[in-house]
Amino acid sequence: MQSDATISVRQVIKNYGSFRAVDDLTFDVFSGEVFAMLGPNGSGKTTTIRMILDILKPDSGQISVLGGAITDAAKDRIGYLPEERGLYRSVKVLEMMVYLGMLKGMSRPDARHRSMELLDLLELGEHAKSKVSELSKGMQQKVQFAVTVLHRPSLIIVDEPFSGLDPVNTRVVKDLLLSFRADGGTIVMSTHQMWQVEEMADRLLMIDRGAQKLYGRLEDIRQQYALHAIVVEGQGDWAALPGVDHIEHNGREGTTLYLKPEATSASVLAAIATAADMTIDRFELAIPSLNDIFIQVVEDR
Amino acid sequence: MTNHIWQVFAYELQRNLRRKGFLFTTFGIPILAYILFFGYQFISSRSTGGEDIATTITESEQFQGIEKAGYVDHSGLFTDPGDLRSVLSPYNNEESAQQAMDAGEIDIYYVFPENYLDTGDVVAYMPRFSIAQATESLVQQLVYAHFARNVDPILMSRLISPAAINEVNLQRDATGETTTNFDVDFPVIYLFVMIMMISQFTTNGYLMQTIIEEKETKLIEILVSALRPTQLLTGKILALGVLGLVQIAVWLGAVLLLARIAGDVGTTLLFLLNISIPTGTVILFLVYFVLGYLFFAAAYGMVGAISNSMQEGPQFAVVFVLPAVIPLYFMTIFITQPDGTLATALSLFPVTAPLSMIMRLTISTVPAWQVILSIVLLILTNIGMMWLAGRLFRVNTLLSGQTPKLRDIPKLLRG
Repeated sequence: MQSDATISVRQVIKNYGSFRAVDDLTFDVFSGEVFAMLGPNGSGKTTTIRMILDILKPDSGQISVLGGAITDAAKDRIGYLPEERGLYRSVKVLEMMVYLGMLKGMSRPDARHRSMELLDLLELGEHAKSKVSELSKGMQQKVQFAVTVLHRPSLIIVDEPFSGLDPVNTRVVKDLLLSFRADGGTIVMSTHQMWQVEEMADRLLMIDRGAQKLYGRLEDIRQQYALHAIVVEGQGDWAALPGVDHIEHNGREGTTLYLKPEATSASVLAAIATAADMTIDRFELAIPSLNDIFIQVVEDR
Repeated sequence: MTNHIWQVFAYELQRNLRRKGFLFTTFGIPILAYILFFGYQFISSRSTGGEDIATTITESEQFQGIEKAGYVDHSGLFTDPGDLRSVLSPYNNEESAQQAMDAGEIDIYYVFPENYLDTGDVVAYMPRFSIAQATESLVQQLVYAHFARNVDPILMSRLISPAAINEVNLQRDATGETTTNFDVDFPVIYLFVMIMMISQFTTNGYLMQTIIEEKETKLIEILVSALRPTQLLTGKILALGVLGLVQIAVWLGAVLLLARIAGDVGTTLLFLLNISIPTGTVILFLVYFVLGYLFFAAAYGMVGAISNSMQEGPQFAVVFVLPAVIPLYFMTIFITQPDGTLATALSLFPVTAPLSMIMRLTISTVPAWQVILSIVLLILTNIGMMWLAGRLFRVNTLLSGQTPKLRDIPKLLRG
């Protein structure tokens, strides 16, 4: 199956016995984007990722990766950071990285050189000869990330890339992800940290019980879930404004004005402007956070 | 495809080769055996001191607690103790000897009656409480000193002990005329069987450990995103198989070297000199080693695939280990009746065949058809075992954090 998309998933179904883990999923991931996969625990994200990586076979449907059915050569162009991660404990960091790099098609000298380069970049150069078990958890996470991008993949699939990292290391990994994208790489990211998705993702797929719930550009989805409401800060009797149904005080976050069906944000703004006893410091459409959207989708099921 | 197998092979080889446990079992055990052997040689050469009677006599600690002894001679044969004077004093009668003993001058005295030459009777007198024991050797020395004064010491030692018999079973002909010899064959069989067992259980133990470690640390998920599980298993089995052969080579080499050195040094480990293993047997030994190794490799691979901890693995492995070591319980039967029904049956049954056949081949002449049949059965079993291992060693099992229940196994095998 030929496709322009970096990853193309078509009507994929996967069952474990009588349990349907992935239910008729269809989506594309395009070159150079950060694509987020969201969903509650057990929703089928990891199963979908494993099928993309050819670790598992779908029961039906097609998956094409990097322009065709997945081959060993294609696998060498993908980097994978699994959610449940681990490294050989009693092996030296560099030695293990070289082995894993070679399994991904690198030559020994290249794997060695590139490993040292990444370790230096992650400020782990002095630990190259240490055993993995001697590293702190944060260091191990960074090594794990280094393994993911070691073989210069063009696509990386990262499952919860920030879990277990402190704010400083979160920043480090995030910068690495962004520089990977800046170099033309494609990122598929599965995470529960919605603010990271809001900050980084171009498009997203949300699945629940194996089926697609949301799919598309982040901005479009947020607009789609926009409330018929306005958030304001300032002085005045907001509830008395024409077109306002009811209000909600959110403390420092301002006040949310829920509008009557016939009102528009423009009519409300005009009304505020003409009211003599009102001042306004902030006026914006109430767009829900991804977190709110996520909870709403899951609770609506 | 094969490239991945090769990469896994190379990595597992160098990684396991450096294991302390492997280095110890491979090189430490032979070194330890050498130290024990030469230590024993050294001590025993010091205490026996060779065949020279003259030097032996003066060493009083030889005479079991006797520092000085006396004798009363009524036979008239031993008028002069000669070189033995320092430890053995003559007395004219029992009274004077008794006085000397009461005074603590001697620990014991012997009385030779008039008819000593005909009867050989000697009476030894000792205090009631004494660390001394009435030993024959002092009398023996006295007798030699008188009657064999001019006899060559080497001839003398042959007269005393004409033959140190070490039976060697040379007859292994087709007539079935095999005389079993416990003295020589038992250590040889024991050596072979132990070498085989220790090597197989160490290397396959490592095989299982590396699999379980990859499962426990979840590294397996990264590995299977780069290669197929069967490639991983194949690479590991080959690497540890080579390690097993290295181990065997080192041990057999050590034994053969020891046998050569033992020939020069002394006769303590005489049986080693008699190990003249025919080339055919060595080849068969290797064949059974490889086939036995593959059987356990498949078994331990399966166990590794379904185990989730280092504690669980060995518990499951017992299922395969126990039947395989059955021949050890019947070792005596193999030695006394190497071609009996039980020994033959066990050497044909694939699980017990490697150990059993090696025992039989060492002792007896096994008919060719039995050897061929057992090898064919073992190969067929191994193919089946590898197939089973391939079915179990798959992503679903490897990535599952749960140990499958017994009733789930058929489902897993069907895939």
